[in-house]
Amino acid sequence: MKIKRILIANRGEIAVRIMKTARLMNIETVAVKTAVEPNAMYLGSADIVFDNTEDMSEVPVFLDIEKLIAIALKTNANAVHPGYGFLAENAYFAQKCIDNKIIFIGPSPDAIYKMGNKTIARNLALQNGIPMAMGSQGNIANDEEAIAIAEKIGYPVIIKAASGGGGRGMRIVRKSEEMDKMFNIASKEAEKSFNDPSVFVEKYIENPKHIEFQILGDTKGNIIHLGERECSIQRKHQKLLEEAPSCALDAKLRKKMGSMAIQIARAVNYYSAGTVEFLLDSEKNFYFMEMNTRIQVEHPVTEVITGIDLIEQQILIANGEPLKMKQEDIKLKGWAIECRINAEDVQSGFAPDPGKIESLNMPTYQCVRVDTGVQQGSSIVASYDSMIAKLIVKGKDRKEALKNTKMALDKVWIKGTKTTLPFFRMLVRHPKFQDGSFTTAFIEKDLEKYYFNAEYEEMLAAWLAVKLFAEENLNYDSINIDFKQGKEINPWLLNKRISQF
Amino acid sequence: MSNDKLQKKKLYAISSENRQFSFSLPLKHSIRIGKRNYEVKLKADEKYGTYILWKNRKYPVEIVRSRQNKYEILFNDISYTFSVETPFSLQRMKVLNAQKGKATAEYIKAPMPGKIIDVLVREGSAVQRGEPVVILEAMKMQNEILSPVNGTVVKISAKANTNVMKDDLLVEIKP
Amino acid sequence: MDLSGKSYKAYIERQQALRKQYSPEQAAKQHVKGKLTAWERISLLFDNGTFEEIDAFVTPASAPVEFGKVDRKYGDGVIVGHGKINGRLVFAYAQDFTIMGGSLGLVHSRKITKVQEMALKMGAPIIGMMDSGGARIQEGVASLSGYASIFHNIIQSSGIIPQISVIMGPCAGGAVYSPALTDFVFMVNHTSYMFVTGPNVVKEVLNEDVTSDGLGGAEVHARKSGVAHMIYDDEENTILALKKFLSYLPSNNVENPPTVADDGTITNINERLRDIVPDDPNKAYDVRDVINQVVDRSSFYETSELFGASLVTGFARLRGRTIAIVANQPKVLAGVLDIDSSVKGARFIRFCDAFNIPIITFEDVPGFLPGVDQEHAGIIRHGAKLLFAYSEATVPKITIILRKAYGGAFIVMNSKFLGGDFNYAWPSAEIAVMGPDGAVAILYRKELAESKNPVEMKKELVKKYRDRIANPFIADESGYIDEVIDPAMTRKKIISALDALSNKWVKVPARKHGNMPL
Repeated sequence: MKIKRILIANRGEIAVRIMKTARLMNIETVAVKTAVEPNAMYLGSADIVFDNTEDMSEVPVFLDIEKLIAIALKTNANAVHPGYGFLAENAYFAQKCIDNKIIFIGPSPDAIYKMGNKTIARNLALQNGIPMAMGSQGNIANDEEAIAIAEKIGYPVIIKAASGGGGRGMRIVRKSEEMDKMFNIASKEAEKSFNDPSVFVEKYIENPKHIEFQILGDTKGNIIHLGERECSIQRKHQKLLEEAPSCALDAKLRKKMGSMAIQIARAVNYYSAGTVEFLLDSEKNFYFMEMNTRIQVEHPVTEVITGIDLIEQQILIANGEPLKMKQEDIKLKGWAIECRINAEDVQSGFAPDPGKIESLNMPTYQCVRVDTGVQQGSSIVASYDSMIAKLIVKGKDRKEALKNTKMALDKVWIKGTKTTLPFFRMLVRHPKFQDGSFTTAFIEKDLEKYYFNAEYEEMLAAWLAVKLFAEENLNYDSINIDFKQGKEINPWLLNKRISQF
Repeated sequence: MSNDKLQKKKLYAISSENRQFSFSLPLKHSIRIGKRNYEVKLKADEKYGTYILWKNRKYPVEIVRSRQNKYEILFNDISYTFSVETPFSLQRMKVLNAQKGKATAEYIKAPMPGKIIDVLVREGSAVQRGEPVVILEAMKMQNEILSPVNGTVVKISAKANTNVMKDDLLVEIKP
Repeated sequence: MDLSGKSYKAYIERQQALRKQYSPEQAAKQHVKGKLTAWERISLLFDNGTFEEIDAFVTPASAPVEFGKVDRKYGDGVIVGHGKINGRLVFAYAQDFTIMGGSLGLVHSRKITKVQEMALKMGAPIIGMMDSGGARIQEGVASLSGYASIFHNIIQSSGIIPQISVIMGPCAGGAVYSPALTDFVFMVNHTSYMFVTGPNVVKEVLNEDVTSDGLGGAEVHARKSGVAHMIYDDEENTILALKKFLSYLPSNNVENPPTVADDGTITNINERLRDIVPDDPNKAYDVRDVINQVVDRSSFYETSELFGASLVTGFARLRGRTIAIVANQPKVLAGVLDIDSSVKGARFIRFCDAFNIPIITFEDVPGFLPGVDQEHAGIIRHGAKLLFAYSEATVPKITIILRKAYGGAFIVMNSKFLGGDFNYAWPSAEIAVMGPDGAVAILYRKELAESKNPVEMKKELVKKYRDRIANPFIADESGYIDEVIDPAMTRKKIISALDALSNKWVKVPARKHGNMPL
């Protein structure tokens, strides 16, 4: 194995995840300790910890290319895994690694660059006959141009950031009057999140499902797909729950979409793990959205139904090895559901609720896998993200997976912050989720209440409130107020107090 | 003069959505549902912290805040706010609410701590229900704070480029 | 004596007449407004069966000139007496709004002065529940003199026995000075109000439209004027809170406060204290989180919460014994001292000094509130009050500097040379003449102006300033504070300091009284 030691340019649960596989492959790992979370869980799983706590700079180390390269060289790491987020889709970083003879565990800088720029990606899709939503040819300079395009393709349209995704820099526009305001908001947000205010315009497909395909490619040109993931449960473009496979696809559609995914990946000679995102409308027409050139948060559900360790594959591919599986070898078995448990307050519109995890108890059933970067005593830091853990539950089919998820959710016990658990508890009981008919509009349109509580739960809370009140106020006599002690004063002191008058 | 009139035989817990739960005193460790009495116990241990034992299941519970007769309780990951009233104070609430009349102002408060990026309205401008009035940046996201009512902006307390804490007053609207 | 005899019969008849006076119909008049009757308030306040009424049967003085009708009811509109609250002797008077509007006449005022004098003689606290239409017009100057006697007694007892007023209805005109002179004022939201001149006169003279609640309701007095220290949404909660409040106070200025068992939940070494103050000095936090992690569980009782909110005052317990807390609140105005908070703190400290309650100060103050309003309104005078109160107090005084402690505000908040007995600081403390940004801007003005990279240079200088001047270790090493402590050890340190100070006695200078800035 060429790769002997991997520097993990990330933190939290993905760092823990990568280290887990690396250990199984007997590869050493290096983690970076930061001042923001010097006691984070991921530091405990690494072979070498690089202490970066003295670094007081504004830019977090995981976004600092120069520093990361320096750390890799200093710790003799000959490979880097960027995880997801941070620099995972930064072509310049990938190139810099290669320039410094460090193996970048991911795709080529060229592929990252091309797929990272949404307008280039769209053009590639166009050239390769991949179905997509109509939109602007390139970036839009101002709201007038946007209005002109919108008039042509018809409202509603969506303004999207050219350099990033994840819901940031995205705004739906339904009338031309809103364009000016939305354009500015989207552009500003894009600048803030991706350092690039460029945006483009696309036709907005109403109430689609978000279906993405997991791609694996090797440096020898072999590309396969590992089936789809259903990621329509989103709020403000942030995924909350994912499943694999999707109940909206049959084998035929899967084959068709899968081959399109492979085709677009081939257009950039893609290798390593990647994800091709599609939108599926109510008539089962699919449209290419974008390709994510990194390992994704929700990769576990694919791992569970295919039995393939994607991180291991990434490392093997980066090591130069050819894929051992062919497309026909990929079988999807069973069903997996992943709930992203975040430290957010569902009752306040998913507002972040940072704090310290006082206790964390996860279910230990056979069908449950927990990916987390947090343990008892960890702090959820507002400046990173609010993820506590990913709860991945499997079943032999969707029905069983749902049943198991419901059971597992009731056994999750987290104290110290508010979590999104009540949301998932509601979701698994919702008929529209159970029958699979939900779309990306589900949360905003079809939900009246964002959380679940059984009827008697409120009553039990009320009982507790009354109990506290009764104890505090009505039984105050029994709190044993002792007046005798107050009267037994040291004679020396008593004397002084009295004689002063 | 005896205490009979004020002998509290019942206490009421009023939720923030005006649902009323009544419990007789002295408070029993059981609650009646339908025909059966189910035992309820408040316990605490090393592993789970404080919890309520009900129908053989443990529910995590935490007393988030208690002020005078108002309690915020986190029960199984959901917060509930109750005010506990005696029969007399309940009646008093009704008397005072009858006297009060319609709300004359709607206060928009910051739902979370963050930085005000932009204030989208001016004093005197008309707003629609659902219209964004302030952009609040938190957790790298730009959040649009929407107006809950149709009305006119009376006062703007939020200033662009300033940090705010949760529940800070941002905008006052006259419905 | 024969039970059926004539004299006994008269006795029973009178008792019945008295009970008839407090009929359900009378009570309904109060209930319909959401208010309790005077008797109901007394019953709630005192332990069952312990209240002994005094002068129940007095009748109103006959008016010198028959001007207007005077209702010949027993009691003259006020119930006075003594009883036990949580087992301790307390005197109280409760005005009865249903009898002649609770108006104050000669006999009414005499009843009150009677219990006041008794309370002073017995060294027991006295509670006044106000619910009155004001002076009885028919009795003219006798009513006014009645008020004067009451005020005089309050002043005579001030600092000797705790005196608490509870406003449960109107309290207007001259009558408001009664609560104003007492130690603490409780008010009930929406159904009580206090003002010197009412809305009618305000409308007449100034043509301003204002409601009673808007002019002098509970919120107004709790938030703006500072006259009310505690407000509650209804009467029962007010009285329950009053009982709770009393349990922190001694009966008089010679005794120690009562004690309560400590449930032991808050341990002497508490690591949570290390996490509360943020590392970023510009980030706020709620100092009450610190307080709640140091004092006995749920024992912190805050006073004047809404007034002068940049300073938190209140009572708490350590090992079951009452202490007073004064703390800067970084969440409000960044914790600066302004006129309201200075005055609030000063009065609170003087009360604690009068009644032998040790004062624990938690300090995180960047200075006094700047501004023309403050200066013109006399922040100099009012800030001096806080200074005077701290220095004059002879009770045990312990200070813990949590974070910022700059300049004049550092001196004022019970610094060592002002008379602090034990002064501790957390490692996060910054003790300096002024904050790093201001200091660096002054000391290095020339260098910064000439520098090519002023922002970087300033950052470096600020760091140097923090390391060399503003850190607590320097103060520790020079003896200006006693010790830099681990935040987790705060409770332990305070307890051992209090033990060392338990017999503290300082002789006050022989003078009639100081000339405190007012």
